[in-house]
Amino acid sequence: MPDSSEGVRIAVDRVLCTGHGVCAQTLPGAIVLDEWGYPVIRSEAVDPEAAALAVKLCPARALYRR
Amino acid sequence: MNGIIELLEAAGLTGRGGAAFSTAIKVKAAHENGAELIVNACDGEIGAAKDAWIVEHRLPELIEGASLVARGRRPKVRYAAHRGSRTAALLHSAGLHVLEAPHRYVSSEETSLIQLAHGGPAKPMTKRAPFVFGGRDSQGHRVRPTVVLNAETLLRVSQINRHGATWFRSFGTELEPGPRLVAISGHVARPGVHEVAAGMSIADILALAGGLPEDARHVGVGGLGGVLLTAQDARTTIWTGGGMKRHGGSLGPGIFTVWDPSECPVETAIQLLSYGAGESAGQCGPCMFGLPALAGDWAAYGRTPSTDRYQRLQLRLDLLQRRGACAHPDGVSRFARSALATLRPEFAAHANHSCQKGGLRHARLV
Repeated sequence: MPDSSEGVRIAVDRVLCTGHGVCAQTLPGAIVLDEWGYPVIRSEAVDPEAAALAVKLCPARALYRR
Repeated sequence: MNGIIELLEAAGLTGRGGAAFSTAIKVKAAHENGAELIVNACDGEIGAAKDAWIVEHRLPELIEGASLVARGRRPKVRYAAHRGSRTAALLHSAGLHVLEAPHRYVSSEETSLIQLAHGGPAKPMTKRAPFVFGGRDSQGHRVRPTVVLNAETLLRVSQINRHGATWFRSFGTELEPGPRLVAISGHVARPGVHEVAAGMSIADILALAGGLPEDARHVGVGGLGGVLLTAQDARTTIWTGGGMKRHGGSLGPGIFTVWDPSECPVETAIQLLSYGAGESAGQCGPCMFGLPALAGDWAAYGRTPSTDRYQRLQLRLDLLQRRGACAHPDGVSRFARSALATLRPEFAAHANHSCQKGGLRHARLV
């Protein structure tokens, strides 16, 4: 289990997510895409700055900080 | 005034809809936030029947339980039942506010009912925080604080209020106290709803419905979100959280379905998985695409097993966990994984074409 003290925790609003896949680019390693392009969260705790940028750039506004 | 919360805590009541969350914590949050109450009497899981039984036989206690949870100056209580069901008719004739949910598997899920109650579609919402605090749907509309409790949970609330925590704890086990209703259906002499408690053997529970027949080979526990046991395991398993966990399950919503031994169980499982795939609300990609892919790959493997197919199936199962707004994909993948392990001898029979029933007879759903 990832240690949440090392960064902020991210989650995906699955209803809003339409599989643009931008988060996999902005958070490489923490998020990968499945065969249909929907995010798979590999690590919930990510660097706060990277998380903020990824949340801002999500075109569906589906990525959020927990 | 707030004695009920301490009472529920002492009794150790947990939600009887399947998730087994502490009712005291939920009711406390409901009181603090003046939450509206939705009584879930939908019997949404496959094989479920206890909510209907409660409405038919124990309605005054159900209403009393609801009044203990819904507080405030103008408490708002809705009773959710499937549209056009006998349960809905009974609730209507009792003059209650009925929330009629469409006949879809996920429409009676907690957040689906909340969205429906507040004027939206009966589809699950992402739970960024529990809706008992109020929240927003995916379109950003505000949702008033709302709490959903299963009908049996509220029946138990009224009983605990009347008879006390000690009475409640005289049933069941230390960890899983209290009486519980279960629905027994399928290949048994007397299908129906019975009152049991955790700690009983599954054999004793099934005896209430006439017993597990000699020719029975598989028992589903918990419906489409549950697990599949061999009849042999069912005969030796004690019905506790721990006993069920060894088979990947839990006490869940209290559902036992003895599978018809004249039907190929692989085909029965395929039908259930296909049904589950069709019941995705189509909102979340991993569920909308993942469940049909799982059902297809499961069927391909079940009918003609191969190592490649098995490995692909494992990947599919892993990708269905915690990737939906609701737990529908989690539940279906749990059942698929369980059936995959339990039906191993049947797969072997399919691999060497010795199954006598494969593909010929079709199971009846529900």
